[in-house]
Amino acid sequence: VNPPRPPRLAALRAAGTAAAPPRAAGTTRRLAALRAAGTAAAPPRAPGTAAAPLRAAGATAATVLLAAGVLALIAALVAVPLVSLARIAADGGLTGIGRALTAPGAAAAALHTVAVAGAVTVLAVAAGTGLALATQRRPVRFRLLIAGPLLIPEFVLGVAWSQAYGPAGLSDRLTGLTVPGLFGPAGIILVLAGHGLPLAYLAVGAGLAARADPALERAARSAGAGGWTALRTVTLPLLRVPVLAAAALVFVTAAGSFAIPEVLGTPAGFATLPTLIYSDLSLSASPATFDQVTVLALAMVVLVLLVLAPFDTWLARLAPAARPEVPPAPAARRTAGDRAVTALVWGYALFAAGIPMLTLVLTALTRGPGLAPVPVNWTLANFAAGFSGGAGLALLRSTGLALAAAILAPLLGGLVAGLARGRWRGPLATAVTLAYAIPGSALAVGIIIGYGRWLDGSALIILIAYLAKFWVFGHRPVQAALDRLPPGLTRAARISGAGPGTAVRTVVLPPLAVAATTAAGLVFMLAFHELTMSTILYGPGTETFAVVIMNQQDLGGVGATAALALVLTAPVLVAASTVALAARLARRPGSSWWSP
Amino acid sequence: MRHFRAFAPAAVLLLAGVLGVTACGSASPSSSPAAGGPVGGAPAGPAGQLTLYTSVTQNTVTAVLDGFSRLNPGIKVTVFRATTGQLNARIAADRRSGGLRADVIWGTDPLSMESYAEQGLFRPWPLPGLTGVPSADKTTYFWGTRELYLVIVARKGLTPMPRAWADLASPAYRGKVALPDPAAAGSAFAALGYFATAPGFGMGFYRTLKVNGAVQVSTIPEVVTDVAEGRYQLGITLDSEVRAAVGQGSPVVLDWPADGAIALYSPIAQTVTATGQAGRAAQALLRYVLSAPGQAAIGKTGWQPVLPGISGPPRPAGATEVHPAWTALFGRQDQILRQYQAIFGP
Repeated sequence: VNPPRPPRLAALRAAGTAAAPPRAAGTTRRLAALRAAGTAAAPPRAPGTAAAPLRAAGATAATVLLAAGVLALIAALVAVPLVSLARIAADGGLTGIGRALTAPGAAAAALHTVAVAGAVTVLAVAAGTGLALATQRRPVRFRLLIAGPLLIPEFVLGVAWSQAYGPAGLSDRLTGLTVPGLFGPAGIILVLAGHGLPLAYLAVGAGLAARADPALERAARSAGAGGWTALRTVTLPLLRVPVLAAAALVFVTAAGSFAIPEVLGTPAGFATLPTLIYSDLSLSASPATFDQVTVLALAMVVLVLLVLAPFDTWLARLAPAARPEVPPAPAARRTAGDRAVTALVWGYALFAAGIPMLTLVLTALTRGPGLAPVPVNWTLANFAAGFSGGAGLALLRSTGLALAAAILAPLLGGLVAGLARGRWRGPLATAVTLAYAIPGSALAVGIIIGYGRWLDGSALIILIAYLAKFWVFGHRPVQAALDRLPPGLTRAARISGAGPGTAVRTVVLPPLAVAATTAAGLVFMLAFHELTMSTILYGPGTETFAVVIMNQQDLGGVGATAALALVLTAPVLVAASTVALAARLARRPGSSWWSP
Repeated sequence: MRHFRAFAPAAVLLLAGVLGVTACGSASPSSSPAAGGPVGGAPAGPAGQLTLYTSVTQNTVTAVLDGFSRLNPGIKVTVFRATTGQLNARIAADRRSGGLRADVIWGTDPLSMESYAEQGLFRPWPLPGLTGVPSADKTTYFWGTRELYLVIVARKGLTPMPRAWADLASPAYRGKVALPDPAAAGSAFAALGYFATAPGFGMGFYRTLKVNGAVQVSTIPEVVTDVAEGRYQLGITLDSEVRAAVGQGSPVVLDWPADGAIALYSPIAQTVTATGQAGRAAQALLRYVLSAPGQAAIGKTGWQPVLPGISGPPRPAGATEVHPAWTALFGRQDQILRQYQAIFGP
């Protein structure tokens, strides 16, 4: 921090965020040096960061307690279900594990899972990064368009796309056009990439806002670099961390998807690990099959671990550079390129969110499947059917549970982020992600084995499952926000005379609050849309909305299922508004949006 | 850590809270009422308690339990209803965390029920004196409660309509037939189980279907939706699904094959954990489901009651049914499925 700053806290915040430009200014002559400045300022090398306060008296005890607590949390939320599953998998011994892994279809399913998730990651992250670069100066409302597909619950996404773009679907009936290869790997990759793009976009877009210092780009340009060279040598290297972090989340999300490969892959006989696990569970109640299911679920964890662990270690090495933040430049004049981007974004939002959503609305409104979706066939009977029985109460319960998860997950994530420094950072980040990699059905089994004796059928056991599964979304955004706090910020505040409470309240919490709000919004949406875990974990008096939906799906109530899915989008719209609010806050200097 | 020094105490408090919540369960098992008594059997009280695990559709479960509760106001029934796969997961998890928590299991097809029986989860059928259930629909451990029929669903106006199952493989319907994925549900598997072992069909039937462009779709309800929307013209699905779609005005018709719909029965059984009062409550439920009012409730929700003489949904005059050779199929699902997937796999 520059020493001669006036000792006022508000100014300190600005000072903290403005500390780096002088460092960059000294290195404007060569682009290579710029890149180094952009990526290499990790805390170990930055003077006076982590080490000194750690050694301070009093901090040690709290740190030890915190570390013990975080480890206990990881034990409770990740290790308990994983070890429970591992013990089942071990029932069959090495032969059982070998048999499960060499069972017909298992290797192919594993290969399909990795191939699909890999392709989806490349596509979604490339497109998300491109859009983030192209729209960084656009208003938040415009940028939220790109998050549109997240509105549609994943469990109806496959059906919505096939009814929108499949043979005899909406576009086929209106224009004679279908998406070729929709039923098969290509379609699965397309839909998952369309759905994964917003995740990548949110991560990269935020990283761009916070990390790509226009001063660095301007310096590069004034040093003689062309636009492309500046992008290649300055902007993209600075974006490495958010891009890699986005890739990790998109990969795990795509690998774990069930509903989309189920609907779109079945006609092509194309199975992934989640669909194989589902059919194994459905078809056989034998203990041997169940052992096999757990082996496959753990294989998914291992697959994700293999990809993620080196990734997180690498990220940990790249990440903790406090980056300067600069208020966004004033909106530039619209160019032809900008108009093309506008058209592209609208096209994407319409294609990946608008039309599938429209088919969902029409299905919910139309009396029966196959009837023309015209007013004469419209009815509210599907909503009535969906809401017969205890659906209203179940909706309240699901809202409450999702809210609880949305509040707790960022707090738990913050604890890990606060602790995760140095060599612990990578492994902790990976550990928090592991439960997300377990298919919901298997995770629910692990949770019942761990806690069912005491919490069977309670709301608490469902909450534990939500926290375990979505902790990663509470952790990574908060971690990213903490990363961007300039080193020594609280110390500077303390030196200026602020008490510890004031220091935290005025310089640490405001930027964290934005990341935590974003994390909370995502966790709320994911928990609210989750269909598998609570339908295995519920008990008397804890039936969630997912149970109501599953009952309708089982009855073959296509219209009622669509109606219930639409109900699920409403609170998510509220959550999206929260994100919009967070984004607006983020545009204030000194705070940041989301970039894990 | 640098920012955490200041609010570490608060963080530690939060941690303690969350962990306390998860740990209090593990630290004080005696606080749970269920832990002391027999597992699954609820603590003995003046009002008996009964836990039912089922994969039967919600409206049928509700209709049957409403009638049961009117006759047995003293018995409080707790229901866990889920798909067969989720039920399997729940039961497997129960068994590894203190034992099965169900007193009665009411399944959708005999295959998963047979697997539970083999694992020793069921008592031998406790009410051998009940009459009327056909011998094809019972084993030592479980009895059928209703019949589900696999039939042909056709798009309205299709000509010619197929007459028998074998017609689905006719070149007239090239690329127009949808089959439910037999790996996704026991009811869909019943069709595969029947054809694989029935004379005149065998796996050769599926090879012909495949050559003829038949397509596998994910679930039994999806077959009806796909045919209604015109993606396919014909499909194999459950009779109740077709009737429901017809009732909503969908452009589909139920085509009962002349050589017989494939019947599967939905069995019920008392578990070994239902002892004492819970056992008596379980038997009261079994007795009610197989009584005239219980069967009538099943019939009213769109399924064929298993007892003769109780009216179910309408069936065409002269409609016949065929039965998969269940005992020959028990334990052979994997093998048959593998042969099928060699044809309909990637």
